[in-house]
Amino acid sequence: MKNFIIFLYILFLSILTVFSYAFLDPNITALKKLFIDFAFDQRVFTTIFYISLVVIFFIFYGIFLWLGIRKKIHAKDVIRLTAITVIVLFFSYPVMLSYDILNYIATSKVLFFYQENPYVIMPIEIAGDSLFSFMHAANKVALYGPFWVLITGIPHFLGFGNLLLTLYSFKIFIAIFYLGTAFIIWKISKNIIPVILFSLNPLIAIETLVSGHNDIVMIFLALFSFFLLTKKKVFIAVLFFILSIFIKYSTILLIPVFLYALWKIVKKKEINWKTIFYFSAFCMLAGFLLSPLREEIYSWYAIWFLPFVFLIPDKKILLYVSVSLSFGLLFRHVPYMFSGTHAGLTPLFKSIVTFVPASLVLLYFIYKKLWEKIYSR
Amino acid sequence: MIRHFKFVAFFFLLFFLIANKTFAESSYVLPYPSRMPGSLSYKIHLIYENVSKYWHFGNFGQFEYNLKMADKYLVQAKTLFDYKQHLLGFDSLKKSNYYFNEILPSLNRAEKESKNISPKKSVLRKASRKHIEYLEKIDVDTPDIFIWEPEKSSPTTLLLKKILMDSINIRKDSL
Repeated sequence: MKNFIIFLYILFLSILTVFSYAFLDPNITALKKLFIDFAFDQRVFTTIFYISLVVIFFIFYGIFLWLGIRKKIHAKDVIRLTAITVIVLFFSYPVMLSYDILNYIATSKVLFFYQENPYVIMPIEIAGDSLFSFMHAANKVALYGPFWVLITGIPHFLGFGNLLLTLYSFKIFIAIFYLGTAFIIWKISKNIIPVILFSLNPLIAIETLVSGHNDIVMIFLALFSFFLLTKKKVFIAVLFFILSIFIKYSTILLIPVFLYALWKIVKKKEINWKTIFYFSAFCMLAGFLLSPLREEIYSWYAIWFLPFVFLIPDKKILLYVSVSLSFGLLFRHVPYMFSGTHAGLTPLFKSIVTFVPASLVLLYFIYKKLWEKIYSR
Repeated sequence: MIRHFKFVAFFFLLFFLIANKTFAESSYVLPYPSRMPGSLSYKIHLIYENVSKYWHFGNFGQFEYNLKMADKYLVQAKTLFDYKQHLLGFDSLKKSNYYFNEILPSLNRAEKESKNISPKKSVLRKASRKHIEYLEKIDVDTPDIFIWEPEKSSPTTLLLKKILMDSINIRKDSL
């Protein structure tokens, strides 16, 4: 039975991988033969198919969690499932839902190939480079932290100047941090449930392993610094925490929690790590909810708080609301996928699909609590 | 009918004459005047400026940096000349010229790296035109020669006309 579910899971991931190529950009000349202009031409079918895939992915997520809670799968199975997810989704097309990976490639190209400062020179200023003609943020200087820009040199050089090779080098690079985060979650929790919650979460898997967002790098470094704190390795923990901030700046919100943990260690006081992760989750959730002040809520921003939430699965309300939020967030892509425009009713529908599942779950818990109170009288 | 036509034709002619005059000016925009010399914060600003040179690494980065500095010191020079601070204005103009002279070599180096420099050259041409307009405005209200007589040292003769003409010529070379 277990093997049959795993077989179905592989089949599902393969379909998702193949489907991702429906969004192929004709400008990626190396893949031009695969271009069929499907996603933008058959919008209704694409949208329905995408919605179905997300729902099925969450059904698998639920099954694996249920198997994990019932102790029907063990650490080895979780490793196997995580490895399967990484391997199959590695072959997916990364520009399916977001152009960010192209921005990472462009920024690293500006620095390492053209030897210009990406914080000064915009990709669009380098006239004649075909890559910069179709990416979506060519008219912006580097958006991310200096440590991120620096480490993108690794996938840049592994790409040997070939766009396709660079694209998949970036995907491997990001996947390593995804695996690293899963490993740290295991090391901290020593429990397979947080690992299943993290590594098989559809939002984390799609936004990290398909789209290759760098948020996972920032979170890996932050979690690793907390892990080092649990081992009382203060200096190196501070170093990794700073490096995390210099990936995408958002973990700056964790400074109060990090300093509190640091102070406790220096004073040789006992630390309740669950409380630390609980407040970390809230700090990052606050950053997530405040992100419209800067631009808008992007689905991959949930990677900021989800790993912390998964480290404290006994906080049921927070866990269920977060998982339902991750469910809703994957539907943020739907209004644009269907309408082909970011204007009009798209922003409204994006907000509705994002918050309705989480609000319903929250309402359910409020209703349950109220009911329990009334019943106990 | 003919009278009406003449009337309309006259206004068309007038419009094009005026419009031509407007279009002759460069669309390039110079910055607001920044900090002026003489204060402690200006000295700190100079340190920032020097560090900023290394931040703008790369030949396009150097192009941006040198053009930004040339613009900034030109505006500073004009402001200082307007306030009759001829010695300081003279120094600012010298600095603007120094940075302006560094622009083209950075573009030539970029070209050797096989970078497409034509958009940058177009920006430089527009900037040069604007600089020349600005320098011509300074020339109108500035004396040809100014003798600066400090209280405790010997006087200095500032050849203002000459430096203005040199500045214009440097910029004409980039057109």
